[in-house]
Amino acid sequence: MKHPNTLVALLAALITGSALAHHSAAMFDAAKEVTLAGTVKEFQWMSPHCWIQLLVPNPAQPSAAPVEWGIEMDNPLGLSRHGWKPGSLKPGDKIVVKARPLRDGSPGGQVVSVTTADGKPIGDTAEVTR
Amino acid sequence: MRCMVVVATAALAAGTLAHAQQSSKERLDAFAKLPDWSGLWEPNVFVGEGIGQSLSASGAQAGMTILGAKVPFNAEWQAKFDAAKKAADAAAAADPNHPPAPAYNNCGSPPFIMNMMSPAIYQWRITPEETTIVDTINGIRHIYTDGRPHPPGDELWPTRTGDSIGHWDGDTLVVDTVAIKPDLLLGGFTSIRMSDQLHFEERMRLVGKNELQDEFTLHDPAALTAPFKVTFSFSRVTDTNRMIDETECDSTTDRNPVVNGRFTFENR
Repeated sequence: MKHPNTLVALLAALITGSALAHHSAAMFDAAKEVTLAGTVKEFQWMSPHCWIQLLVPNPAQPSAAPVEWGIEMDNPLGLSRHGWKPGSLKPGDKIVVKARPLRDGSPGGQVVSVTTADGKPIGDTAEVTR
Repeated sequence: MRCMVVVATAALAAGTLAHAQQSSKERLDAFAKLPDWSGLWEPNVFVGEGIGQSLSASGAQAGMTILGAKVPFNAEWQAKFDAAKKAADAAAAADPNHPPAPAYNNCGSPPFIMNMMSPAIYQWRITPEETTIVDTINGIRHIYTDGRPHPPGDELWPTRTGDSIGHWDGDTLVVDTVAIKPDLLLGGFTSIRMSDQLHFEERMRLVGKNELQDEFTLHDPAALTAPFKVTFSFSRVTDTNRMIDETECDSTTDRNPVVNGRFTFENR
């Protein structure tokens, strides 16, 4: 962990489900984590949150259209402190995202970590949760 | 005649300059007496962990807590707190997928004192007349140190940050804040309204080179059995050197818009 407050924030997230200023994270299931291997459709670098739109194929149904997941991240300032830049992801990039999924089961979640398809962290560390 | 005008203008200019130089020296001397809190800072506790934690991790400490310490409500206000917490818990449980949104604008700085504990970056801008605290979620606090009192009661009205005056006690900035909108975050982004007698005192100081401490005492004689004191701190930020707005919310960028008082999630 690069940032000393990460531990504090994670602890806060565990206790309250939220360390966000902008909105409650209670919509995400902090007890679960999904691993999504897919292709970047769009990387939205904006406040109040950055987003990865990720196209995730279903291995059980390779001929089916991939499912588009919306992965919510920190804001640009927070991500930049983890070594991220507006061009860190481009459409077509193959990546692996770990995320806390939405409780209602729809394809969305709060980011935990991001790596390239071969496991290299994007930014300083794979973990980007603040 | 022309020569006289030139001489008079030169004399006026010289006099003005001499006055300006003297004022500048006095002003430099005034600045030299102030501590150096330059740089960027972030709180060591955040919203959700600091104020607003209604239960400890073990669930053993019921009540409104600030940094783990229970706020000493009197019986009347403890009952109000319990009712507010019950309502907040019920609202959250009614639709876990769409958490209740706060009454305040969630795309800006939250109310005092939460505005000092947000996951944001802060700066202290210290001048002899005023210390201004700005943060990256559009929060600005003006703390007047020019000796003025609070405005008289009939010229005060509650605001998000209240009216703050201060003075320097050595290297400690002593701050007194009144006329605060008395909504304190309860948890789950739900606030509890305290009485109109809510009043904060703070003592801010550097503790070492990389820690800035804020000790605040919450007074509310109508709601509390005793003043409530808590200390929190900020760490120096070393991994960025820029203040960047984190709250650039509008309908095109905010994908968690509030609908019917609850947060939503837009996959787009």
